[in-house]
Amino acid sequence: MRIRSFLLGAVCMFGLGTMMVSCSDDDNNGLDDGGSKVELPDSRVYILNEGSQAANNAGISLYDPENGDMIDDIFYRQNDSRLGDTGQSMIRYNGSIYVAVYGSNYIAKLNAACVQEKRTSFISDPDLQGGVRYIAAEDGYIYASFYGGIVAKIDAATLEVKAKLKGLGANLEGMTICDDNLYVANSYEIVFNPATSKNDYVYKKEVKVVDLKNFSLKETLTVVQNPNKLVEEDDNVFLISWDYSDESYVLQRIEPKNNNKVSKIGYATDMAAGDDVIYLVDSRTDWSTRTTTNTFCYYDIKAGSLVSTSFLKDAPAELTSKSIYMMSVDDESGDIYIGTTIWANGNGTMYRFTKDGRFVEKFDCGGQNPKAAVFFN
Amino acid sequence: MLSRILCDGCSLIGAALFAIVSSASVSADTITGKVHRIQEVTVSSRRSPIKVSSAIPLQTLSGADMSQLGIQNMADAVRRFAGVNVRDYGGIGGLKTVSVRNMGAAHTAVSYDGAPVSNCQAGQIDIGRFSLDNVAMLSLAVGQNDDMLQAAKLYASAAVLGIRTERPVFDDGRSSAFRLMVKGGSFGYVSPSFRWWWKLSDRVATSVDGNFLRADGNYPFKLVNGKYVTTERRNNSAIDSWHGEANMYYSLPEGGELQVKGYYFYSKRGLPGAITLYNPVSTETLWDKNAFIQARYTRRFSRKWELQAQGKYNYGWNRDREFGPQFTGGEYNAVHKQNEYYLSATGLYRPLPELTVAFAQDGIINTLWSTMIDCPYPDRYTSLSALSVRWQRRLFSVTGTLVGTYITEKVKEGERPDDIKRLSPSLSVNVQPWSDEMLFFRAMYKSTFRTPSFNDLYYFRLGNRTLRPEKADEFDVGVTWSRSLFPAMDYMSVTLDGFYNDVTDKIVAFPTTYAWRMINFGKVHVTGMDVTLATALSFARGLKLILSGAYTWQRAVDLTDREAKTYKDLLPYTPVHSGNASGVVETPWVNVGYSVVAVGKRYYMAENIPVNEIAGYAEHTLTLSREFDLRKCHLKLQGEIVNLTDCQYDVIKYYPMPGRSWRLTGTFTF
Repeated sequence: MRIRSFLLGAVCMFGLGTMMVSCSDDDNNGLDDGGSKVELPDSRVYILNEGSQAANNAGISLYDPENGDMIDDIFYRQNDSRLGDTGQSMIRYNGSIYVAVYGSNYIAKLNAACVQEKRTSFISDPDLQGGVRYIAAEDGYIYASFYGGIVAKIDAATLEVKAKLKGLGANLEGMTICDDNLYVANSYEIVFNPATSKNDYVYKKEVKVVDLKNFSLKETLTVVQNPNKLVEEDDNVFLISWDYSDESYVLQRIEPKNNNKVSKIGYATDMAAGDDVIYLVDSRTDWSTRTTTNTFCYYDIKAGSLVSTSFLKDAPAELTSKSIYMMSVDDESGDIYIGTTIWANGNGTMYRFTKDGRFVEKFDCGGQNPKAAVFFN
Repeated sequence: MLSRILCDGCSLIGAALFAIVSSASVSADTITGKVHRIQEVTVSSRRSPIKVSSAIPLQTLSGADMSQLGIQNMADAVRRFAGVNVRDYGGIGGLKTVSVRNMGAAHTAVSYDGAPVSNCQAGQIDIGRFSLDNVAMLSLAVGQNDDMLQAAKLYASAAVLGIRTERPVFDDGRSSAFRLMVKGGSFGYVSPSFRWWWKLSDRVATSVDGNFLRADGNYPFKLVNGKYVTTERRNNSAIDSWHGEANMYYSLPEGGELQVKGYYFYSKRGLPGAITLYNPVSTETLWDKNAFIQARYTRRFSRKWELQAQGKYNYGWNRDREFGPQFTGGEYNAVHKQNEYYLSATGLYRPLPELTVAFAQDGIINTLWSTMIDCPYPDRYTSLSALSVRWQRRLFSVTGTLVGTYITEKVKEGERPDDIKRLSPSLSVNVQPWSDEMLFFRAMYKSTFRTPSFNDLYYFRLGNRTLRPEKADEFDVGVTWSRSLFPAMDYMSVTLDGFYNDVTDKIVAFPTTYAWRMINFGKVHVTGMDVTLATALSFARGLKLILSGAYTWQRAVDLTDREAKTYKDLLPYTPVHSGNASGVVETPWVNVGYSVVAVGKRYYMAENIPVNEIAGYAEHTLTLSREFDLRKCHLKLQGEIVNLTDCQYDVIKYYPMPGRSWRLTGTFTF
């Protein structure tokens, strides 16, 4: 009897506790929604819209993948202030959103409702005035690359800059983390050439490997010039270099377990990591007809081969000629999101596909130049 | 637009006519048989700022008008012309360009004392660098100007902003005249200037002008960012500039005139850039140097033959510097140098009283040296030929012009662009139905184009050497009327013009994935209407009232791509409604000037959605001035309050304009 009563009481207490948790404003399916001014869906796709430079029109929009509802610039609605100028990168880490805003030069920590909790500005630090570019997270720290050749190590909870690693190059771009190592692209610099009396763009051919255990430079990898975007999947690092010398965007694979061997595997203008796969698109423009043609394919990591077949089954025809500005994959559902841009001429458009490449829908991004997406399910 | 002109030209003509009549009267005087010498008199008259008899829309603004209305700078003056869209990036040092009827700034030519001003690198002229201190007259001609004795380059432009500087005038047999002027105002603005006119002989007069300008420019503005409403300052806006001119006017013994001008301008200014939320850091500085020497020879050989010949050498230099860790060595510098060698000759012939034929030929060489990445050091050779024929009989005139253009370029690296060979026609008609009524009907068509700038062609990665010229076709139909309705009214002038512009092959930056390139892609239609009105009333006891106003309605829409979200949307920064009004009250004690410039809502992005809207604005200016005669000296004191209502507005989004400010000017003439 006692045991039965105890069990009954325990069940009741659990039920009550569950109800209380469910009713809390601060938690929605385990998500921290504290301070939210709007009703939020359980599943959320936050889209960072870069905006146009010098227009202060960066923003974050919310898409509900369950019913297709959209909230334009939820960042403004939740915080009653603009995100700023040129939204550069956005990641999800430990249930929070971290967003780097290049022109405004700050990083903000947002909760799952896109309510700002912390912000760190870099405008007063002469080392970091070049502007924040990309961010990655590991073991309680956010790592941020900066123009000026610096990576900053930032406490993920307080956003306090704990350390700066200088001298990594000129202007740093994309980053990713693999096996406690940070891979960061050293892209380019402008150098005055006394011989020609001209400013020259000098494209770098370096990916810096930073050992996160002691936050020091471990190795410099030689890659195709002007490295830019880096992603990690299955303990492999993939890199796209914007090789302007022949208008090609070169896809490379870096194998950390093989002494960081770098190998060129094809051409791609953008990529996104899926489950054991890297989704790829290669955009080429024929200037005589002013038409852009997008070719979709993927890299099978397990097989170690580039598969030329498109990973999209029934994509709308127009997607083959749009300017693709981002690709991102929902880790949970495997859905693929492809964002296109019309630059400052209007809002971008997002195309959503299932993991097997079936077209789901397209929708207005609620801002210009969709740049990144994070997912809460 | 309000205007009052104490017209020096009219005065001289009046005096001359009076002298002719006087001398004729002397020989015919049979009353006393003596020679009577009548004292020389000066006839002063007010002239309407609107030329109603012109076959094309022609508006003027005199130096006196600008002074009385407290006009701050060249851009402030030009925005008072109907149909003009001035892009003003704010502050004294901010870039200011002029687009007429929304064809784009590159379609507007600027002439300085008759010689074209050019900037082949940017393709558009920053009018902010011109001082108003020595400007006698500003004019804006849309389409083909009535003046046939002009350079071919001005024939070839869709619109011409004319800047005419003061010429020496010597009163009372004096051989020199001086003017000292000091201006001071808000935000650290100080600008002393001097003018010296010297009559070397009966045939030679000279003038020297100089002015210095400095300002901190760090005006406050209100920044609204959602819940944050803060008062910020426009930092890194300081400017120092020097401007000097020397002119020599020589009346040749055999007739005709030779005018030689030397000009120098230097400025150092901070470039604050757009307001960036949360990041006020701004470290960019721009230095400009511009020097030119130009000579103009004009002669009327007979009633049938006239000639104008011009030569000019222009040197332009600028340096752009910016600091930041993103630059190697912490600093970025870019230097550009341009040279222009310009020759022009225009002959005018009247074979019949009704027929006038003019032929203008220009030869121009432009060069660019730049630290710009991959700069191919282009040299551009341009030949412009303009044949113009006018038939004018009584109350009807028709003018047709054909401009031939040939441009070829040499580059030291890479491919050179194709040569440009084009013929551009224009036609204008003007009819006055009744000889005793100043009522005119006019119609105009003009075909022009703008040549790709050096930046369009050669800018690193963005430039495209296969660009074609951007074409513009202008159409205008108008009616003008002027008369005095009652004795106290000096004039009342009204104009109404409807216009349509078609810009095709528009040169735009065309985006694709990660790469932009200049291409001929855009198509724009501009439909609109201008209304201008001006009147002046003279009452007893020296009381005068001068009123003017202008209103423009226009829709400049993007017709580039039917599939685009922006199809048929208004172009960025093109208001549908804009206008201005002004009034001056002249009394023996004090003169009061008031003006308002108003612009309706616009979009700052190509897509016409609410988030891209910029609110309209109205800026009011109040001016008080008084003149004192101190024997042979003359002192004028003037106070101005600009933006009286402290309206916070942007012409260009995130380039805030100053709020309320003041300026005091003291002018001492002796």
